[in-house]
Amino acid sequence: MSSVTYDQLRVLYRTLLIFATVGTVILAIGLVEFVYYEPPGQSSGIKAHIVGVYAYDPATKQVNGPDRSEFPRAGEFAAVVDWGSLPGSLVVDARWYDSFGALEGKVGPGTPAQLAGDSVIPVEVPPGFHYVLPGRYTFVVERWKDGMPVEVLGRRFVVVDRS
Amino acid sequence: MITRTAPPAADPESRLRPLRYGVAIAVTALVILALIASSILNYVYLDTIPARASLYGLLAVASITLGTYILVRAFDRDRATRRNHLIRAAVLIGLGVLLWLLVIDVFVFTQSAGPGIAAVCALACLPTTAFGLFVVRRMDRNHKEPWRLVLVAAAWGAIVATSLVVWGETLWESSAQHALVPGPGLDTSLAFMAGILEELAKGTAVLLLFLVMRDQFDDVVDGIVYGAAVGLGFNFLESVSYMTNLYSIYQPEGTGAFAAGIQWYGRQVLGLFFGHATYTAYIGAGVGIARQLPSVRRKALAIVAGFVVAIAAHFSWDAWATIFPIQNNFFGIVEIHLRTLIMTGPFTAGLIALLIFGIRYEGQNLVDQLRKEAATGQGAILPEEVQILASPWQRLAQRMRAMGRAGVRGYFTVSRLQTAQLDLAMERWHRERKEIDTPLEAEQELRRRVIQLRHWVAA
Repeated sequence: MSSVTYDQLRVLYRTLLIFATVGTVILAIGLVEFVYYEPPGQSSGIKAHIVGVYAYDPATKQVNGPDRSEFPRAGEFAAVVDWGSLPGSLVVDARWYDSFGALEGKVGPGTPAQLAGDSVIPVEVPPGFHYVLPGRYTFVVERWKDGMPVEVLGRRFVVVDRS
Repeated sequence: MITRTAPPAADPESRLRPLRYGVAIAVTALVILALIASSILNYVYLDTIPARASLYGLLAVASITLGTYILVRAFDRDRATRRNHLIRAAVLIGLGVLLWLLVIDVFVFTQSAGPGIAAVCALACLPTTAFGLFVVRRMDRNHKEPWRLVLVAAAWGAIVATSLVVWGETLWESSAQHALVPGPGLDTSLAFMAGILEELAKGTAVLLLFLVMRDQFDDVVDGIVYGAAVGLGFNFLESVSYMTNLYSIYQPEGTGAFAAGIQWYGRQVLGLFFGHATYTAYIGAGVGIARQLPSVRRKALAIVAGFVVAIAAHFSWDAWATIFPIQNNFFGIVEIHLRTLIMTGPFTAGLIALLIFGIRYEGQNLVDQLRKEAATGQGAILPEEVQILASPWQRLAQRMRAMGRAGVRGYFTVSRLQTAQLDLAMERWHRERKEIDTPLEAEQELRRRVIQLRHWVAA
């Protein structure tokens, strides 16, 4: 094997190692980002009481019918939260996310007392659309600290059918 | 009676051959176990398989049954014909497995919009993916890979890799959605999921090609070609699944075709070479460099490095692409292109640099070997042919001249001669570097084949 050939292969090998070093830095940044948004040791043991998810009438802003986990596409729905189940000192909010992770309705953040008048949290129909998009929706009640949500105190999943 | 011979190996001290076959068998066994587990779990937890899919499944079962029958009978035959029967059996069994996986994939990925829309989406993605494979194969300007292996690589990406990841991703995603705060933390976790699981599944194909098809896996350029082919195959099925899914979501609002079209453009035009093809090509580059490194430690490091770059590139896109806001107006179209260029462009540029350097490295060494072979005076390569064989354009010109003299047959005969001559130079290169475990007789056989083809060309 000539030295020239070996040097060429060594250049390729070392270039790849440099790229891998950059890759490792990228993955490390990703890990730091994850830890920043999911800080360890945030489990308070507090549970929010989600009363249920019900069909929702936007005209009256009232829920009706039984607690359900599946809705037709044309039907609107909302979650009902018992804010009184949470300690008054907490800062909390409640949010709906669709299957793409997009925010589709929220109340808060605020203390449970401030949110007492917003116990019904409906899913919002995206602007320009007739109905909510089908897929799996996630409803969460979150505890806030230092200006961002750090813990999920209650969670519900709802499926919206394609038809 | 055929007697066994023990021809001298290029590197008599090499013990890598039995080891790498053992590793290949272990990897294959793990893949099969994962696929069986994935299929069972898909069936039990996701849904039951529709009746129409069972028909395709029957074809798969028939292929596997026939292949198994030929496999069993092969061992009753004499040694001279046994190999052919074993190859037939392997092809049939492989075809059966691929068909079955295709059934699962069609069921899992395309059921949302129905088979008609899924077929239209697949047809829309076929020409672009075929173009991608054509370009990727042509990147190896010195020594092109056989179409059958490029297609096997793409089929692995489309069928096996997607089947491998579906259960793992479902499990990871479900666990994360039950445990994490929705938002950036969850998005980062899912980006890690896609990067790690999808690149491992795709990379396994490149690794198996490296372990089993060593004769056709020469260096970094081949690795990039095979890796990109696996990525293009994966991108094909992922495009079909996203297009059908979005079509079914947005069609009731009257924008299903538009949503599917946007996905097609993003994945099959804009992201054809920037996305999965780039990521998995890095794994191929790592494996290709490992192919030629002398020590096992460096080989392992090169392979790991390729995986790390691929996972990081994939992760960065999934995690941070949303940092670039896309406005809902005409400028949004420009922003979509800029986002791809900024986010994935540097990785693709790095890969192109490796490819260009690899082509140059391969080309210089092939010319060196062509000259050495010509100097032996054995007649396989003539001194005046060295410059022609060294240049893709001059090789093409030689083939065109042959076509002018003897038609299409002349073109392909000269093409086979050139390929055999380059195979011989490649074999010599690997033997000189002691990175080959085929016996010296293989090189002599290549030389005989070149001389035989030369007689045909002359005739």
